[in-house]
Formats: sequence, C-alpha cells, structure tokens
Amino acid sequence: MDFDESSSNKIVTREFIAVVLAGFGNELLPLTGSHGDDPCLKALLPIGNKPMIEYPLSWLEQSGVTDVLLICPTSHRSAMSNYIQSDVSSLFPSLRIDLQTFEQSQDLAAGTCTLLRHFSSRIQSDFIVLPCDFVPPPALTLIQLLNKFRTESTYDGSIATTCFYEVNRPDKGAATEEWGMLPSNVPIVFDERSGTLLYVDTPEDVDKNSEEFEFRMSLLTQYPRTKLSASFRDSHVYVCKRTVLDVLNEKMYMDSLKEEFMPWLCKPQYQRTRREKYGNILSPVSNNVSQGPALRHSTLHLPTQQKRLRHSFVAADADDDHLRSVVPSPVDDDDEDAVEPSLRVGLVVHRSTSGFASRANNLHSYLELNRFFLGQTSYSLPSDPENRSLIDQKAQISADSMIGRSTRVEERASIKRSVIGKHCVIGKMAKIVGCVILDHCVIADGARLDGCILGVYTKVGAKADLSRCITQPGYEVSPGESAKNEKLEVSDWAAHETSEDQDSEDETEESTEEESDN
Amino acid sequence: MAPAPLLEVHPPNGPSNGEAPADQQKSQKQMTKQERRELQERQRAAKAAKTATGANGKPQGGKPANQPAAGGGAPSRKTADAASKLPSTGPAKTIEKAKAGQSSAADQLAKNQARGLLIFSHFGLPKPVSSAKGDIHPVIARTALQFSSFKITGANARCIATLTAFKTVIQDYVTPPNNTLSRHLMTYLSPQISHLVAARPMSVTMGNAIRQVKLDISGSDIDLPEQDAKDALCRKIDTYIRERIIIADQVIQETAGNKIKDDDVILTYARSSVVEKVLLEAHASGRKFSVIVVDSRPMLEGKRLLAMLSEAGIACTYVLLPALGSVIGEVSTVLVGAHSIHTNGAVYSRAGTALVAMMAKRHSVPVVVCCETYKFSETIQLDSFTKNELAPLGDLFSSFPNNKPRESLTLENKPNLEILNPLYDLTPPTCITAVVTEVGVIPPNSISSIPVALGRLL
Repeated sequence: MDFDESSSNKIVTREFIAVVLAGFGNELLPLTGSHGDDPCLKALLPIGNKPMIEYPLSWLEQSGVTDVLLICPTSHRSAMSNYIQSDVSSLFPSLRIDLQTFEQSQDLAAGTCTLLRHFSSRIQSDFIVLPCDFVPPPALTLIQLLNKFRTESTYDGSIATTCFYEVNRPDKGAATEEWGMLPSNVPIVFDERSGTLLYVDTPEDVDKNSEEFEFRMSLLTQYPRTKLSASFRDSHVYVCKRTVLDVLNEKMYMDSLKEEFMPWLCKPQYQRTRREKYGNILSPVSNNVSQGPALRHSTLHLPTQQKRLRHSFVAADADDDHLRSVVPSPVDDDDEDAVEPSLRVGLVVHRSTSGFASRANNLHSYLELNRFFLGQTSYSLPSDPENRSLIDQKAQISADSMIGRSTRVEERASIKRSVIGKHCVIGKMAKIVGCVILDHCVIADGARLDGCILGVYTKVGAKADLSRCITQPGYEVSPGESAKNEKLEVSDWAAHETSEDQDSEDETEESTEEESDN
Repeated sequence: MAPAPLLEVHPPNGPSNGEAPADQQKSQKQMTKQERRELQERQRAAKAAKTATGANGKPQGGKPANQPAAGGGAPSRKTADAASKLPSTGPAKTIEKAKAGQSSAADQLAKNQARGLLIFSHFGLPKPVSSAKGDIHPVIARTALQFSSFKITGANARCIATLTAFKTVIQDYVTPPNNTLSRHLMTYLSPQISHLVAARPMSVTMGNAIRQVKLDISGSDIDLPEQDAKDALCRKIDTYIRERIIIADQVIQETAGNKIKDDDVILTYARSSVVEKVLLEAHASGRKFSVIVVDSRPMLEGKRLLAMLSEAGIACTYVLLPALGSVIGEVSTVLVGAHSIHTNGAVYSRAGTALVAMMAKRHSVPVVVCCETYKFSETIQLDSFTKNELAPLGDLFSSFPNNKPRESLTLENKPNLEILNPLYDLTPPTCITAVVTEVGVIPPNSISSIPVALGRLL
C-alpha cells in the first residue's frame, strides 16, 4: 500500500510504446547462421563489443520512454530472454521490456507489417517503431523526434514522424561486391521548411518506371518548394499515431513497413481521394478534447491551406462555406472545433556532418560501424590483473583496437584496427588487421586475417590466411588454408576435415599476403 | 529621472572602503544625496576593478537592467554567454552595476567578448523545455511544447489550451487511497502547472483561470463519487470557457460592432482574436468599412489577420509599424486587443500597441480596447520593463520571402549584435478612450470597480 506520491504513477497515461523489431538478419548471413543448433541473433551481434540492440535501447532510455515491446522470432526466444534478464535489467533499469515472439522461419521471415498487425492489440497508444540495428549518433536524440511528433500531431494533425540520415559515400575498395549488394540510397522528396516527407521511391516504382519519377500535381500545389534527394537512407525509426495501426490493419496485402507502407502513408496528405477515404480513420473526430478552440483563437494560426483553397474553388456554396469556416458560430459544434488535420508525415533529417549514424543490417555497414567505434576509443591494457595476464608483453596491439574480456593474446601477435570479442585466443605471430572477431574464437599461431568478420566459436588453424572473409559461427578453418572474399559456411553433411582438405587443395595459395596497412 | 532609492545595504566591499560597516550605515543617513552618490560610484568602481581581475568565466552577467536614460553610459559587462540567462537579483542593484565597468573593465572587454543584454536581461530567455521531471501528463507536455514553439499564442488561446489540457488531466486522474480529491488534486496539478510555466511565462488569463479552477476544486463536495466530482469540475471548466471567453466575445462583438459605422476606417494592430471577431461580425452584418492592419516583426501576426479578413471580403490595407504616421490621418477608430488590463487602467498588450495608442491620441482618434473581464489583473503596472517576455531567437517566426534560404532570414546573436524582442508593452490609461467589455463600455480608470460591482472575486 503506497502512502506516498508514488501511487500517482498510476495516474499518468503512458504516452508512447516502443516496438523494437529483432529479425533474423538475413543480410548478415553467414554471421547470423546457426551455430549447431543455437541460433545466432542479429540483435546480439556486437558492435564495438556491445550487443547491437543496446544502442537503440539506450537511446530509448535517454528519451524517457519506458514501455518496450520486443518482437523476435520464436526460435530466438530463449537467447533473447536470457540477454534481457541478465544484461538489460542492469543497464537500463527504467525500461520495461515485454518480449513477444512470432512464429517464423529463417527462410520465410515475416514482414514488418505482418508483425505489427499481429501485435496491434498490444499497442494501445502512440508508438515508436525501432529496428534493433540502428545506431543513432549522439547529436540526434529520440526526444527531438518525439517533440516534433508531439507538437505537430496536436497542431495540425500530423500522423507520423520519420527519420532519415545522410550517408557519406564509402571509400572505394573498402567494400567488396562478394559480400553482397551495397546498400543503396532511397530517393525521397521532402519539404525542408516544415520537415515533411512527401514521397519515397519504392522498389515497385522503380520496377514500373526506372527512369522517371512520377509525382502528383497536388503534391507540388501544396508544397511548391520541395527537395528531391538521393543521399539519405531510412533509419526505420517511425513515431506514429495509434490510428496508423488501424489503417495498417486494413491493408492486408502490405508486407514491409519501409518499402510499402510508409511510402503509402505519405500519400493521403496531398492526394484528395486517399484523404477522403482514410482521413477519418487516420484522424477520427473523437470524444477526446482537442485543442481546436485554442488553435482557432491562436494569433499565429491560420486554417490549413487546403481548407482555404477548397473554399475558393467551390463556387456554388462559397458564401456558406466561407462564413462557416471563418466566422465561429455561436454554438460550439464539433465540426468547428476540429482543426482540419493535415495528415502530414514529418521528417527529421540528420546530416552526416552532425555525426555518424547507420543501420547495421548488412555486412558492409556492420564492418563500417565497428570501424567507426574503433575510431572513437583508444586501446589501453586492461586494468584488472587477471585480464592483463592473459595478454602477453610482446604482443603488438595498436591503439585503435578493442579487445574483449578474458581474451588471451600470445606473444608477438599483431593486432591492428580490429575488434576482438570476449574469451578469444589469439596465437603467437598471428596478424590481424582490420577484422571483427566475435566471442570465443580461437586463432592459431601464425594465422593472418585481413578485413574478416569471424562468427562466434570460429577456429582458425595455424598459418591460415583469410582475406575479407566471413565465417559462420562454429566454422573451422583448417591450417594453412587460404581464402579471399568468401563467405565460409559450415556445411553439415560431409565431415569437416575431408571437405576442407579438398578445398585447400583446389585453391591457389596466395604467396604474398596482402597485408593492407592503413 | 530620479535615482532609484538607495537601500541601506552594506556594500559588498564595505571593508575595502576603510570604514567599519556600522559607521557607514550611520553616516549614510547623514551624508547628502550627493555624497551618497559619490560613495556608490566609488564602490562600484572598486567592485568592477575587483571583478575585472577576477576569474573570467564567472557568470557575472544577467545582472540588472540598465535604466533607459542611463543607457548612454555604455556599460559593458563580462558574460561568458552571449544571451545571459540569469535572472536578476532585483531592481535594487539596478543602477549599481550599470556604470560598473566603465573605467577599467571597459578596455578589457573591448576584446570580442559577447556582451550581455543591456535591458530586459532580468527576464532571461525562455529555456528549452526539458523532458518532464516527475509525472507530467502527456497532454500537458504537448501543450507546453505548443507554447514554447509559439504554435499557440495569444492570451485567449493559451488560456483555452490550458483549460482544455486540464480537463483531460482531471479525467485521467485517480484519487490515491487515503486522500480526497479536493485536497490531492491540487497538489497533483501543481507540477503540471509549473511545467507549463517553464515553457512560457504564465499569462494573466491563465493565472485567473487556474485560480478559478483551484477554487472549484477546493469547493468540490467530498461526498460525491469520484467520477461525478471530476465531471462536475470539467463542466465548470467548460462553463468558464464558454461564459467568460466565448460568450463574452460575442457580447463584445455586438457592442464594439455598434461603434463601427459605414465608411469607417478602422485601424488595428497585430492580431487579437477578439478584434478579429468584431471585424468579421461587423462585416457579416452588412456594414461597409475598411481596415488598416498595422504589423511588426518578428511575429508578423498581422499577416494572418490580413489573410482572414481579406478572405471574408473586407477591404484591407497592410502597413508596418514605422509607416503608422502616414496612415493615421485617415483613421476613424483604433481597435486593439489586450493581453491584460490592470487596476490603474493600463493595458498590457503586444509590443507596439502603446505606440499606436499614443499616435492615435495625438491625432484625436478614439482608441477602443476590446477586452473580456477575465483579463483583469489586480496588480498595478507602471511600465513594461519590470514584467515582460522576450521572444526566443531562431527560426520560429521566419517567414516570407520564400525564395531566400531560411538561414538568412533567421536572427541570431553575433559577437557584437544582441537581438532583443520584447513581446509586450504597456499602454498608459491616458491614451485609451474606452474599454469594451462584456459588461459594457467603460473608461479605463474605472476598471477596478467592475469586479466589486459584479460581486465577483476576480
């Protein structure tokens, strides 16, 4: 029984619920492949030795949102709930995470729209959709997005706020085609002044007409000065009103939030037919008190453009409409009180000059993000004696590397510009340059690794030479093997040794290693 | 200009003057005014010298407003920030610091140190609304954001917004056990109110409305079940809005509308929701008149009024405030709105109204203020320096022309440039011909008698 003010906690209605989507991460295969029977969660892949999902969660905690609905596939449930119980409750005490699973298989992953539709009963307030792989820059706070949403949804009936970030063009040669397609930017049309997202190019539009963009005239009539830009990427952070879910439930055929639903959602703000069809679902005239009368009295407020344009076009009952819209009637009827909603989709643009932001949903960005965090910190020998004893005196570890706990580095190993996870063993004379090595890996003596990403529990044999390879968790590289630009996956049908022996015989040995120094 | 009264305050460098404080106190009474002035100057110079050699980063700024007549002294002060945000310690030290840095500190500050605001620094600039401390209801948080981003402006609008938000808060309220609604609800509302005030300083209308709400809460019956009590409160709030704003506005529309004859030229300043209604109603009832809208930056509210009036078909002219002199000759009546009216009859309104009123008086044009009775404030205000508000900088109000990039239109503080936008000013009662309220047309000096005559507390 609370006698103190803390009981008033129950009085406050929760304003936002965050929905964090943790999927399979098929773009990150084979890193997210399964290790034996255990799945490797994309959300727990480390960036800078911190699990990926920690970044959006800390972002949420800073902004004061407490309720989190975390959706993951059923097969990942135990690993995720272990993580939540152990780490999250200590790191983010104010977050209340509700873990929900959705039955889906890796090959046939459910689309984000399907997930939201399925869990729409658990979402009863305005919600924020976050991917588990977005790493926000320190300059961009979730509070900025939330404040923009709060102001605009009350002021002119905006329905959602999105966030797009600018990406620098990657250096040539830093990324390899063999790792998969480079992520591409999405052309968008937006109004910079008011921060409104007007049009997002979808793959469907590209299929229909790959050489031209098609815009409605009504878009240009409403926003005569817009910008078209192809230097932004979608951060997949959407702050939406609850009514957006109602519309989503109607659109059963849509599967992807980013590619289908959000571009669709941008349309009602300027397309008259769609507005008429969905206007009252998106912005219902409800019993909730709105700030209509206050806005009508506000000295800096004008009724929306559309209302005024519409009234000037409709000739027949022009006088009536004029008077009704402009002169407040003596009796407060509900129509007058409601401000005509603009159904805008807001946009917060993050420029690359203000900080580095990225989504880690494919291999290139994953590597880039790790490298970015390496640039932020500088390595120093671990302070506690136990860990320090594991690292040999004669090991050469450059200042821009990161080494996890309990990792053993033996003498004369050379580590440059790399992130090494926990509980690893780096053998003597190993040369590791620009790699990301996850937990529990064993790298035998004399191995050379260059620009690789090794999954957990990978074993690299002695004097093996890997360049720009990605290994599935649990993969074993046999001694002396050499591989370049490959995705090494554990094959589960043949015996390990025989298949790899054959591989190494087939491949030509690279006599001169490419130790690409920075 | 009489110097501000000297308080019997021990100057901070008392000992350095070589006099024991006790003696000094006694001697101050015996010294002539002249000598006291000299003493003060000496103390100031000494203090300035002391602080000039003191730490540079000390936020010494924010100290008091310079009196306008003394502005010629060009005081400079050390402020680390360009826009000093510290509230003043009070008008007592006003003159003291004003002449402080003249001698020694002046040359030190000649280097590009940003100067603090010379006047109005005691209100500071509004701070950005931080994330809610404690449990702030989301509706209150949103309303506060509307205030601080100047989306809802105007005395009536803010009051209605506050009351509407309170209705939602009250409906969502749950009385904790061992408490009664009438006692606990007020403590629950206090942090919400302070959150709103942190966004923008409270207006007189909001203050009066909140006082009424608190009165209603404390008067609510203990025996009522909770939902009934809450509903009763919401009904009372609705009644307040309806009676004292909406219906009051309608009565004012009629009364002031009768003052508008055919072929009149009405002049109005910025945008008042009441005046807008009066003009639209008068036009709707068939009178033919034209309107001159006078406007000023940075808010440019007159533009919106212009849009509304010209849509309704009224012939309008739009001028900026400096052009007032050229149009005042043809004006028959000046109609302005008010933020609040004080007991001495002074009208506190958008900055620039005082100019319009004084100009009109010069040219013998009647000035009619349209104001509801709930805007009456029991305080006396003699000038617009003690209580005012500064508009925040940035691109809040940037508007036309559209072809220039946004950056060139926004005003920003630069090393040698301080931007100052007071939002309100005070029109003395001598310039006002009449005040139209819902209880009648009254001369401004009789305002204070209205509440008594109506038997109301406000």
